[in-house]
Amino acid sequence: MSKLNASDIQGFVLRGYNLPVARYLFLRLEDAKRGRYLVRRLLGQITTGQRWDGGKPSVTLNIGFTFRGLERLELPLATLITFPVEFQQGMKQRAGILNDTGINAPDHWDPLWRDEHVHVWLGINGQSVEALDSCQAAVQLALDETGGATLLATQEAAAKVVDGAPTTAEHFGFTDGFGNPEYLGVERSSQPGQGKLLDDGKTWAPLATGELLLGYADEAGELPVAPVPHLLASNGTFMVYRKLHQNLATFREWLDQQSASYGGGKEKLAAKLIGRWRDGTPIELSPDAPDFPMTQDPNRSTNFTYAADAAGTRCPMGAHIRRVHPRDAFGFNGKLINRRRITRRGLPYGSFASEDQPVADTDDRGVIFMALNASISRQFEFVQQQWIQYGNDSHLGNDKDALMGNHGGHGRLVIQGDATPANPPFVCSHLPDFVELRGGDYFFLPSITALGMIAMELVDPR
Amino acid sequence: MPNQNGSLYGLTILSPIIDDENATPSHDLQIRDYLAQLSTREDSPFAMAPGTHLARLVVMDDVIYVGMPSCEEHLKSKYLVFESNCDGDLDTYLGGLADAIPTHLDGIWGHCVGYPKQGAADRQAFIHYMKACQLETTFYFAAVNDKSVPATLKALQIQTAVADFIASHQGADPATLQREFIDFAAHLRAQPAPPPGSLGPHRTIETGGHNE
Repeated sequence: MSKLNASDIQGFVLRGYNLPVARYLFLRLEDAKRGRYLVRRLLGQITTGQRWDGGKPSVTLNIGFTFRGLERLELPLATLITFPVEFQQGMKQRAGILNDTGINAPDHWDPLWRDEHVHVWLGINGQSVEALDSCQAAVQLALDETGGATLLATQEAAAKVVDGAPTTAEHFGFTDGFGNPEYLGVERSSQPGQGKLLDDGKTWAPLATGELLLGYADEAGELPVAPVPHLLASNGTFMVYRKLHQNLATFREWLDQQSASYGGGKEKLAAKLIGRWRDGTPIELSPDAPDFPMTQDPNRSTNFTYAADAAGTRCPMGAHIRRVHPRDAFGFNGKLINRRRITRRGLPYGSFASEDQPVADTDDRGVIFMALNASISRQFEFVQQQWIQYGNDSHLGNDKDALMGNHGGHGRLVIQGDATPANPPFVCSHLPDFVELRGGDYFFLPSITALGMIAMELVDPR
Repeated sequence: MPNQNGSLYGLTILSPIIDDENATPSHDLQIRDYLAQLSTREDSPFAMAPGTHLARLVVMDDVIYVGMPSCEEHLKSKYLVFESNCDGDLDTYLGGLADAIPTHLDGIWGHCVGYPKQGAADRQAFIHYMKACQLETTFYFAAVNDKSVPATLKALQIQTAVADFIASHQGADPATLQREFIDFAAHLRAQPAPPPGSLGPHRTIETGGHNE
């Protein structure tokens, strides 16, 4: 088993911090020398994956670079050209492959992503906005003193707080964040359903470390494609950053309208769309009603497969969680999906609106989706292209993921059912776009060692 | 193992490419150039000609040396590989290609050794040539449920139309449903099958290898 050096890996990569607020800073590097000096200044402040034996810190800081950022830092050309092509291109140039077209096309993105070249992402997670402010002030001081970069924009994000505690709720009212995989060597409380299925079709084990981190064997027993030198790549990973706007008014109106003719009722329709009831109960395990204690039980909340539900009568074949994490739905005890897993970080942005509060699609709210993976093209891009924007693998023809798909008004979701009145088959057609892309990019999150190499101009591909 | 599985035929054709050092660009590059321009949708030649479920054309230059302990080996020629999953009988299929897309066939196989002088216009000579280059297919993609191309297209058309009908008639009263279903079924039966290559997702990129 891979033994990981947690103090060399950025903390953001190894764990979801579960801190209530976050601010993402986007920088443009000014020149190589001052940029490297800035990285060196920040080096000691970057949060690593070391255990927090003394309790959670008030604030964390992590860093990632776009390809243009690494170019600006003047990494050797012999290193730059060894980065994977999709990372060199960046997310905007991958729009065709990702189906980021129509309303999701780069022309419609926020000016930051449409017009600027972001070089650096700084992720600050904290206990409070005051903690974020003080961390940002320290970063600003480093920017001012080194002249290494200009702050282009910031993005706030925050968990919904209920009774003083942060939750994993998102704006459509669902509890999110169940599905992150486990990896060999990553210290994390283990729970069934979060790694890969073994040959018996029942037991779960962690995925190979190389599905998350560069420099380790992946599920094919190979080292992931990574830049040279090995030391620059090892313990690093790639991050996909996507700002996803949520059309809450459209979603609520659609749910009200469709559920009026759906025999299972509104909450069941919402659950069929996602594959979980709004409180997070997997519909595969509890098809008739939510079961809150189940969501709190790590032995049950993610512990299910689809083998006994091949027709989708409990969890529809097109339900969001079944599409993006098909478990064993494609047969072969899930072996076809083990190289397509991603680790999600991220938080909602914008104000939360209770069910009785009026909302508009133009309200600024959504989710900052951040996915970590060793190969953006093999993992994130595959999931986006084949499982979200297409339906063939799920035996759903050209249908797209109902929640995330770029439908342009033509989307369709088939809800398989049975002969009971409370679980009728139902077809939702003319689906609107519930989610719109507002920008983002691909980032490289280096190890602490690699950051030092970048800062000290020690990257040597020979 | 035979070339035929039920009504499906697995065709493999290996045609040596003309080796002419005076040809500029070389014949293999001219084939590559021609293939790179072909559509993968309705206007693909293999969609215009009858009987193809799936076809693949590959220019094979040589065997790649993979290092020790492999010994260095070479092919005697460059080859054009044509693999097609088609509706069998083979003579009918090859004759159908010659009838429907003779210009494309000449544009591709005209660079191969022994291709008939008159090209695909000489139907019999074309069929004879292709069969002379045929290898036995031992293992192939067989995900078409033993249905012909027209039957598969018709089935996809019916599936799509029925799904749309269900979506637009949910909750209709039984009398209306029956009346409209009878009309719908009669209308659907009278519809011609959609053209091959037309039922895929409409994407802004082609999956012909150019963009991915």
